[in-house]
Amino acid sequence: MSSRRMFTRCGVVALLLALAGAAQAEPYLAAQMGLKCVQCHVNPTGGGLRSVFGNAYAQTQLAARRIGGDENLWTGQVMKFLSVGGNARANWNYSEVPNQSGANDFAVEEARAYFDFGVIPNRLSVYVDQRFAPGNSTNLEANVRFWLTENTMYVKAGRMYLPFGYRFEDDNAFVRQLSGINMQAPDEGVEFGIEGGAWSAQLAFSNGTAGAPEVDEGKQGVLRAEFVQSAWRAGASAALNHTEGGDRQAVGVFGAYRAGPVVLLGEVDLIDDDTIGDGGRKLLASLAEANWKIAPGHNLKLTHEWFEPDRDVDEDEQTRTSLVYEWAPIQFVQLRAGVRAYDGIPQNDQQNRTQGFLQLHGFF
Amino acid sequence: MVEDSTRCLRRIGFSLAPVVLALAGCTAGSGEGLDAGGRPISGPPAGNSDFQEIQDTIFTPICTVCHAGANAPVGLRLDAANSYAMLVNVASVEAPGTLRVNPGNPGASYLVHKIEGTAATGARMPANGPPYLSQAQVDLIRGWIAAGALAAQQPGSVLLVTSSIPGPAETAPSGTNKLMLVFNAAVDPARANVNSLELRDATDQIVPIASAVVPPGRANVVEIALGAPLAAGSFQLAARGSGPAPLADMAGRVLDGDADGAAGGDWLIPFDVAGGTR
Ligand code: HEC
Repeated sequence: MSSRRMFTRCGVVALLLALAGAAQAEPYLAAQMGLKCVQCHVNPTGGGLRSVFGNAYAQTQLAARRIGGDENLWTGQVMKFLSVGGNARANWNYSEVPNQSGANDFAVEEARAYFDFGVIPNRLSVYVDQRFAPGNSTNLEANVRFWLTENTMYVKAGRMYLPFGYRFEDDNAFVRQLSGINMQAPDEGVEFGIEGGAWSAQLAFSNGTAGAPEVDEGKQGVLRAEFVQSAWRAGASAALNHTEGGDRQAVGVFGAYRAGPVVLLGEVDLIDDDTIGDGGRKLLASLAEANWKIAPGHNLKLTHEWFEPDRDVDEDEQTRTSLVYEWAPIQFVQLRAGVRAYDGIPQNDQQNRTQGFLQLHGFF
Repeated sequence: MVEDSTRCLRRIGFSLAPVVLALAGCTAGSGEGLDAGGRPISGPPAGNSDFQEIQDTIFTPICTVCHAGANAPVGLRLDAANSYAMLVNVASVEAPGTLRVNPGNPGASYLVHKIEGTAATGARMPANGPPYLSQAQVDLIRGWIAAGALAAQQPGSVLLVTSSIPGPAETAPSGTNKLMLVFNAAVDPARANVNSLELRDATDQIVPIASAVVPPGRANVVEIALGAPLAAGSFQLAARGSGPAPLADMAGRVLDGDADGAAGGDWLIPFDVAGGTR
């Protein structure tokens, strides 16, 4: 591939990633372009602040329309050693639960800012992800990242989101809830990563408390590896959380396939948790998603999820089906509209609810 | 050779598509034979106290999708076996100066802040809302806290131990120097004392208990303080329903320790204490 084409391609991804949200990466966008997360995010596991590269091309390549010229390009670099970014999501939410009257509200879904202090350019960074809403200012990520060898091997230590499966934008996806590893629940620990050729792999050790202070000697180990090709990708993750009260094991496989303007994504996670109920439980969650890029700046997403809360109990399964339309009229702005229908056992109203939302998403 | 492997890789890629499509075919359960929490219906229904109702209608069906098991957010487990012990008089992680449930004081309970959407930190609960809890559900929780945040009262004519920390066969953290028993009814504080309990180690030696009290505002609970942190090893706690000083409830009913439906017998809880390092 010529470097120019490569450049353009990455730009397209960068913008798509950007459009999907600075905090919440969208794995389908990377799959659409056949690139790895590290290409356009400063954080090799994706999500959060975009790199200069990602930022620049985000603006020059791909919203449905672009306002302004090249002289005012936002790179994220406000000073020589400091990059910043952020995003805000304002929602109108609607929900309907059987046997209850419908409810709707306006809400700031979230507002976040990111800071990356690149004290030794391309090698050593201090990274901060701060959430300003909902609630008071809260730190969600604060870590030091050191590339042992430039672009191929790093170590990260501090508070971070752990690597497991796909980092979907939707933290309420069953697979994200079940793994307990999502962008609402950081953990403290250390991560080693390798970015080599088509491979992207991480190994992390953390407290395993999902954000609570450590209470025992037990720790959590997480391993994730992904093989990335231009038209498809596949990977696996495994986690073992060892606590005084019992162990929790998680294994998962995930992958994506691109066919023209459509990207299919899938993930299946199996959890064996000794710490739930008497004698533990085995839980399973899956996600299947199709993304259709109708035109530049327009994406239609259909997702079907399945959740099995206890493999030893029959007829307790739940599903969640979502249809979301994402439109990026100009750079840095995204409008999203979606409906999500839950289907579960008839005796639980909550498991049979329907949600709808309109979202204005701004980011930089 | 290179071509072969490329073709092979492409084939793997292509086979991902039907797998994803197959996942899209999974459907929801019919719920047959299950309660509202999705658990098999078994035995007589649990009691009808406020806390039991909160557990059965709010925590189990709504909150435990996230708040269960070792990876529960901020360590808060709301399944029936853990919720009471993890909420009442336990400091919040997000707002360490505030108790999750402050008995008698709903306005100063972080749980209430989280479900009403006024919490200092993070999202309103349930985090996958809306819908959030209805006013009636919030009022049920507020009312339970205002009335002292009592543990569930199970029906029946005998006094029983309903749960404990550590639970039977569980491993307590190293340095454990406190134990807790939860009963199905209010315990007579005058009869909950060091004589009504006995702790023995693996060699059957008695381990001294410093105090056993019914804490203020939590009539269903007996808190046991030990003279010193327990060493690593196996232990057995006995709650006496027999002998000269059995435990009894406010109605004078003696503990049914062997759970045979009649008063009498000792309730035994074998447990381990973890070592300092592994
Ligand atoms: C979709 C997953 C999810 C569901 C469902 C959920 N929670 Fe949470 N909860 C979280 C996460 C993530 C956090 C930590 C981050 C935050 O507060 O935003 C949290 C934090 C909390 C805290 C703060 C604990 C502390 O120590 O500071 C409380 C209290 C709480 N939840 C109660 C509830 C209750 C009660 C319900 C059910 C009505 C519920 N949650 C349902 C995900 C969930």
